[in-house]
Amino acid sequence: MIYFDTSATSPLLPEARDAMLDLMNLSVKGELGNASSLHSAGIYAKEELIKARVEIAMLVGVSPLELIFTSSGSESNNTIIQTFKDCPIIISSIEHPSVLKPAEEYGNPCIKIPVNKSGIIDLTILRSEIKRLTSNNSKQKILVSVMLANNETGTIEPIHEIASVIEEFKDQGYHNIYLHTDATQAIGKIPVNAKKLKVDYMTFTAHKIGGPIGIAALYSRSGAPYKPLILGGAQEDKRRAGTSNVILAAGFAVAARYCAQNQTSKKYQNIGKLRNYLVKELTKKIPTAKIITPLGPGQALPHILNVAFPAAEGESTQLYLDLDKIEVSTGSACASGDLEPSHVLMAMYHDAEVAHGSIRFSLPLGATKKQVDALIDKLPGIVSKIQDISTLKKEKI
Amino acid sequence: MSENASKTVKNTKPDPWAYTETVKDHFLNPRNFIMGDETKWSSDGEGIVGNPICGDQMLVKIRVKDGKIEDIGWKTYGCASAIASTSALSELAKGRTLEEADSITAKEICDYLGGLPEHKFHCSVLGHQALHKAIQNYISKYNS
Repeated sequence: MIYFDTSATSPLLPEARDAMLDLMNLSVKGELGNASSLHSAGIYAKEELIKARVEIAMLVGVSPLELIFTSSGSESNNTIIQTFKDCPIIISSIEHPSVLKPAEEYGNPCIKIPVNKSGIIDLTILRSEIKRLTSNNSKQKILVSVMLANNETGTIEPIHEIASVIEEFKDQGYHNIYLHTDATQAIGKIPVNAKKLKVDYMTFTAHKIGGPIGIAALYSRSGAPYKPLILGGAQEDKRRAGTSNVILAAGFAVAARYCAQNQTSKKYQNIGKLRNYLVKELTKKIPTAKIITPLGPGQALPHILNVAFPAAEGESTQLYLDLDKIEVSTGSACASGDLEPSHVLMAMYHDAEVAHGSIRFSLPLGATKKQVDALIDKLPGIVSKIQDISTLKKEKI
Repeated sequence: MSENASKTVKNTKPDPWAYTETVKDHFLNPRNFIMGDETKWSSDGEGIVGNPICGDQMLVKIRVKDGKIEDIGWKTYGCASAIASTSALSELAKGRTLEEADSITAKEICDYLGGLPEHKFHCSVLGHQALHKAIQNYISKYNS
């Protein structure tokens, strides 16, 4: 099996599994209580939760008190967006649906800033939109939410520069503009420090860095507006109700420690070299392939390659590869439940054939040249077979 | 629960696939599709439905003899279920009278394939519409 879909979810680290199994075994014996309980089993659980929170907060350079555990990146994103209900919410046009949909629902208005063909947000338009929204009201509360790196293309957004734009407005007396970034894909792949990024909020999740599915984090800067999404309990310092998931938090913490200790963001630079080798060989074997991921220095995460093949619908390519035990993703509508082509690729290219024909390779840390060679060996034949059946011409798109 | 129950750790996984075995077979081994330039495949009628914007497009061409579909060729741009359903349609239509072939429904194609996910049914089973157009094209050319 060649698993090149680590952006969907990364394999669980054995160390994370072991840490969780240890706690599960305690739970089987009734020795791991509810972290809100005052008896020793409860206090033990609470201590485990504190340890996990410290470890995860350290990874992104924030105070543990500013870190809220949630169930998913989607929940973290929804929590912040709904905090700004009825306020203007400015997002990029390529946000994850868990930002896009709530922003459309709660933003008044929701403003989508276009991106260029590399997927990078237009800062001039962003600046002019903030200026327009604040022109009649210097106290206008505004949320700007732009992802740190895109999940489909790997494009890295200029969060530093966006923060600087907001700083400029703050210097002019507009103090109610807040910045959220969804760092779900970027964590562990490039250095991510919420304080250095100067964001007020940041989303990230365990299962993209070798932790378990079912737990994520939300950094909420002390003093920034915050409204709980889930009410009915004092957990997470009254910011997120629900019994604390100590077992998953322990798995998350192990993954965070693994990223920090092993400096995975440095190791991923080697994966970047492997990705570039894939690009070179792939474009040699399939000259009509359209490389979507921007490949300039620092333009995209090192492990993602999004590429579109003309006349070959993405789901077909994906399923042929699956039968060859190579797991990848596609931006094709057919593979998604809602039958809409990827809004990310449509925002970048305004071309449905590109969106339908796209394949995302996302290489895990353990990816090897041998695996990439195996992929390159299989792919031309698969694409050619699908193109032979196709009504469309296999010309460059 | 017994102590042993906790030791049933899964080290292997089954090999599930997104569609039925029949879909898989027609996807991997499509029947009657036109290899190469479809304009060189001579026919008595042809029809095309769908468009690349939606992600699915089917072209069906027929050769007619004695009121029956003697041969059928097709091309499809689309997902696995779109390819498999056009392939299935070609098998269902071959040898039938034009009237019989024109009465093939999406449900018949779907049943032939052993079922399709519901969200795929409406978008990817379009081959019978292309066949209908091909039959109409034939009628307008030869029976007017």
